[in-house]
Amino acid sequence: MSTPPIDREPIESYEITGKRTKELTRRQIKKARITGIVMFALAAVVMFFLAPAAAGTSTFGLSFAEESIQLPPLSVPSQGSLWVLAMVLGFLGASQFFRGFQSKTTVILGIAFAVFVFSLMVWATAGEEFSLISMLVSTIARATPIALGALSGILCERSGVVNIGIEGMLLGGAFTGVVMGSLLGGWVGLLAATVTGGVLALLLAVLAVNFRVDQIIIGVVINILVLGLTSFLTAQVLVKNPQFNDAPIFQAIKIPVLGDIPIVGPMFFDQTIIVYGMFILIASVTFLLFRTRWGLRTRSVGENPKAADSLGIKVAKVRYLAVIYGGMVGGFAGAWFTLGTVGRFDEGMTGGRGFIGLAAMIVGGWNPVGAFFAALIFGFSDSLQQKFAVIETPIPGEFLAMAPYLVTIIIVAGLVGRARPPAADGQPYEKE
Amino acid sequence: MKTNFKIVAAVLAVSALGLAGCSSASTTTEPSAAAPAPASASAEAPAVASEEPVAPALKACEVTDVGGVDDKGFNQKAYKGVTDATAQLGVEGAVLESQAETDYVPNISSFVDQGCGIIVTVGFLLGDATKEAANANPTIPFTIVDYAYAEGDITANNVLGQVFNTDEAAYLAGYLAAGMSKTGKIGTFGGINIPPVTIFMDGFYRGAMAYNADNGAKVEVLGWDPAKQKGLFTENFESLDDGRSFAQNLVDEGADIVMPVAGPVGLGSAALAKELGPDKLLIIGVDSDQFESDTANQSVYLTSVLKNMDVTTFNAIASVVDGTFAGGVTVGTLANGGVGLAPFHDLDASVPQALKDQIETLKAGISDGSVDVKK
Repeated sequence: MSTPPIDREPIESYEITGKRTKELTRRQIKKARITGIVMFALAAVVMFFLAPAAAGTSTFGLSFAEESIQLPPLSVPSQGSLWVLAMVLGFLGASQFFRGFQSKTTVILGIAFAVFVFSLMVWATAGEEFSLISMLVSTIARATPIALGALSGILCERSGVVNIGIEGMLLGGAFTGVVMGSLLGGWVGLLAATVTGGVLALLLAVLAVNFRVDQIIIGVVINILVLGLTSFLTAQVLVKNPQFNDAPIFQAIKIPVLGDIPIVGPMFFDQTIIVYGMFILIASVTFLLFRTRWGLRTRSVGENPKAADSLGIKVAKVRYLAVIYGGMVGGFAGAWFTLGTVGRFDEGMTGGRGFIGLAAMIVGGWNPVGAFFAALIFGFSDSLQQKFAVIETPIPGEFLAMAPYLVTIIIVAGLVGRARPPAADGQPYEKE
Repeated sequence: MKTNFKIVAAVLAVSALGLAGCSSASTTTEPSAAAPAPASASAEAPAVASEEPVAPALKACEVTDVGGVDDKGFNQKAYKGVTDATAQLGVEGAVLESQAETDYVPNISSFVDQGCGIIVTVGFLLGDATKEAANANPTIPFTIVDYAYAEGDITANNVLGQVFNTDEAAYLAGYLAAGMSKTGKIGTFGGINIPPVTIFMDGFYRGAMAYNADNGAKVEVLGWDPAKQKGLFTENFESLDDGRSFAQNLVDEGADIVMPVAGPVGLGSAALAKELGPDKLLIIGVDSDQFESDTANQSVYLTSVLKNMDVTTFNAIASVVDGTFAGGVTVGTLANGGVGLAPFHDLDASVPQALKDQIETLKAGISDGSVDVKK
């Protein structure tokens, strides 16, 4: 397949190269076969387990009652649709098995899983009705803190500093957000939350860049520190002064015209300022990281600080800035928990979302857009689980709750496409 | 330079742990250091002016579940039993909040080491930790909220289990909600699928079904199926945003009255209800009268299903004070005031008199045993 190298290399080396290529293609074939079989298995599940049990029609609500443009609910015959979906899966599996989609395998596998999930939904709602739009809107809401947390991690790690203190930054932002929000209003609270994240990140930067402390340890310390500090202050201050724990909640702002579009409108254009902030941040960080000089420098420091240094880039300064920006995003994300949803703080209320953000970052391949889609997967399975619990399906909710973590493990283990961190991630740089 | 950063890291780590310990006090105490200090109040024990100068006051110590004493419900209410006792009986009170399930054992053993006169553990999830501690310390009286041990589980019989027939009160709430719903759908969700949570949901569901049977209505209950014992759960008692999104989910499916049984998570539902307004969503509080405790969101509470663990906890402490403490199980019922339905407060006028009368009749029926809430 591959053309032999033209330059005069020793024979042995040539042989090794040739062997390797062969091995690789054999592995590729094997991978194609396995993914093909997986798709076949999914098709079989839909065909033989889901379809026979599905009677009646499945109805998905596509509009909220108060929307100006009403879409009629989508009604499909359950069994018929499942036959069709099974055939689609079977076709994908067959072509994958015999021909292979090569580089597109991951995408096709993703589509296959999406088809399978939709089959589950059709099957679960057979003879019933549920509001699909409500689930989609809830997906965005639940993905927001995860996507922002992931973004916080990306900014830090692209510059070569591991940030596992995202959870602490979220919690810190949530706390100061609610206190300042209660005293001086939501906008001040949002600002305070952002600053808090930045301050915590400064701690990370000082210890990681100047003192070269193990970055995993600093992250853990930040998480414990913030959990302890906020719990202590809650018990000592907020419980005794409930007026400090009653912040205004940002209301959804509907964007004219766009907000009236069915489905897309309520999902993307009728949200709170924090959700809009997330979209803007995802877009702008993507642009800044991959299209500007600052981004190139940040990434080069994260990949090869020595080379960057030799070209005159101030490694320490670049890392400081990236980490502090990352922390500010984390603090901003923290504000979602209080100012964006419930207006009050409770101990440990972030509930591990910072760590899920970390997972989303890895699944998204240290790329803001990828991380956003990963966060959507987490948010989606979360909302799907809720819906399934309401309409009482035989699938255990715990299984669906577990699904995104399963996906994370599969991706981290390198089964579907490789997740590659920045080369100098987590390595302190010492100038020689 | 190298040693420098190690020192910095060490100092930070230690101070972080110290701070974490300050609030949860979950650091293990060395037995030798802590044993002879029964009277010294721990750093955050509410200072209680003891009236008796001679005898060292009895120390009533409470270990909370992860919700914390300010959850406006479950833990807070049990803690009220302790503070009532400090005010009325002159005992000393102390509380340790568990930040995670791993804190249960260290928190209890820390109180054992401090020489507490009675240890109150709040919550079903502390059942195993309490059993272990009680068997290891047969002379210390324990009382646990929401747990009844089987015969022989506790060798020295030094644990008083407090259980509540909350389904009796939740039955009334379900009946009321079914009568008040305009959409014909009401909803509920829980924290974790454990008996003290699901007993609320069982009662709520059956109460609504009783309303249907009495009035020929067809009100649906979303989020719980008592036959299969399956339903909607947040799987935690901390994430308030879950409370909001779960309630939103139920509203989107048509429910206009929701009963969250998830401790502070329900406050998230209340925040949503306040935003949507009482026409779209009303909340039924649990454990304490949340109209009183969640003053920021008073307008959203139709009523609350009361579980008066403050009374049972107070009684347990009082029995230790007067020397009559006995292990076993105490059951709070509608008849003995252990559970109940809170007043409707501001919404009183909107509840039809006929419905109120039906609920009163039902209440009498449940109390005298003629109405069975288990079916």
